[in-house]
Amino acid sequence: MKKELQLKLQAYLDGELPVGECQSLRDLLAKDRQARELLTELSQTRDLIVAHEAAIKLPETREFYWAKIERAIAPEPKLQRRRAAGSSILAWWRRLLVSAGAAAVVAIAVLLSWSHATGDADAITISDGSASFTYHNYATATTLVWFDYGSGNDFPNDSGNTTLIP
Amino acid sequence: MADLDHSATSDEALVRSARNGDMAAFEELVARHRDKIYARAYTMMRNEDEAIDLSQEAWVKGWQRLVQFQGESSFTTWMTRIVINLCLDQLRKRKRQRTESIEAMDEESGGVERQMPIVMINPTAGLEREDLRVRIDEALGKLTEAHRTVLVLHEFEQMEYKNIAKMMNCSIGTVMSRLFYARRKMAALLQDLKQVD
Repeated sequence: MKKELQLKLQAYLDGELPVGECQSLRDLLAKDRQARELLTELSQTRDLIVAHEAAIKLPETREFYWAKIERAIAPEPKLQRRRAAGSSILAWWRRLLVSAGAAAVVAIAVLLSWSHATGDADAITISDGSASFTYHNYATATTLVWFDYGSGNDFPNDSGNTTLIP
Repeated sequence: MADLDHSATSDEALVRSARNGDMAAFEELVARHRDKIYARAYTMMRNEDEAIDLSQEAWVKGWQRLVQFQGESSFTTWMTRIVINLCLDQLRKRKRQRTESIEAMDEESGGVERQMPIVMINPTAGLEREDLRVRIDEALGKLTEAHRTVLVLHEFEQMEYKNIAKMMNCSIGTVMSRLFYARRKMAALLQDLKQVD
């Protein structure tokens, strides 16, 4: 028997053969014993499988099975959210202090250049490693010291510190 | 664990609650249908651990895609499609890892199934219903993944050829060939249930 006919028989059994081809296949079945036998075998096999699907049970308890699903779909725990919120506030403060420090350095630089222009500046000292800047104005008898602690330490105001020494 | 007793609530109502973030409602859906979803994964993969993992992954995907569930089919049918797709992805990954495809060899070998003698099966011959189920399940396990998948999708999920072809990313002709082979192979494997005249 040709493969095409075998697949047509199967499609007929499954209700997938185009309507126009059904009658000619029925005519063929009426006179072809082998085709009838094959159709019977396919039909019996299909019915047997459909009617006897194994009743497979999940080999885990409801709680155990659900626990993994729950972990995957549960929203972030409150504690983690709180920690995340806390660390974001700290990061915000650090960014603010670094920006403020940078602004202060720029302000000093502007002040110094202005002092140079007016001839009031008496002394400027930049220590080794640029850890501190010192500005002394003899006219006003004022000393301004800027300490830069860097951003990697644990000081809350780690961007720097300004001390005014009269 | 569920805070409220959802046992009397319909699937549709549970889906609506779950869509609004009610995990207890979703847990009830899992509890109701976990055997069916696991069974489908197991029938396709033939491995307990893999079937458990894939079925759980399907539930997670189901939760994430609940808004997409419009109710055209039942919730279980929708979930079954998700788990089948995950199994097919897994089987494809497995196939890619192999150097040689057994399925391809079967199909290329030129229609052994067409030469097999026709078998008449009598399902009532000598076996209790449960024994028969076990025999059929064992026979399914002897099919290649590609043939078993087509058979499962057609016989158990009642899917049409074109939908199977779409899901398996192959032609309708391939689906028909695989289904034909799978049925004939099953008939041969179950031939000791031969009709006694």
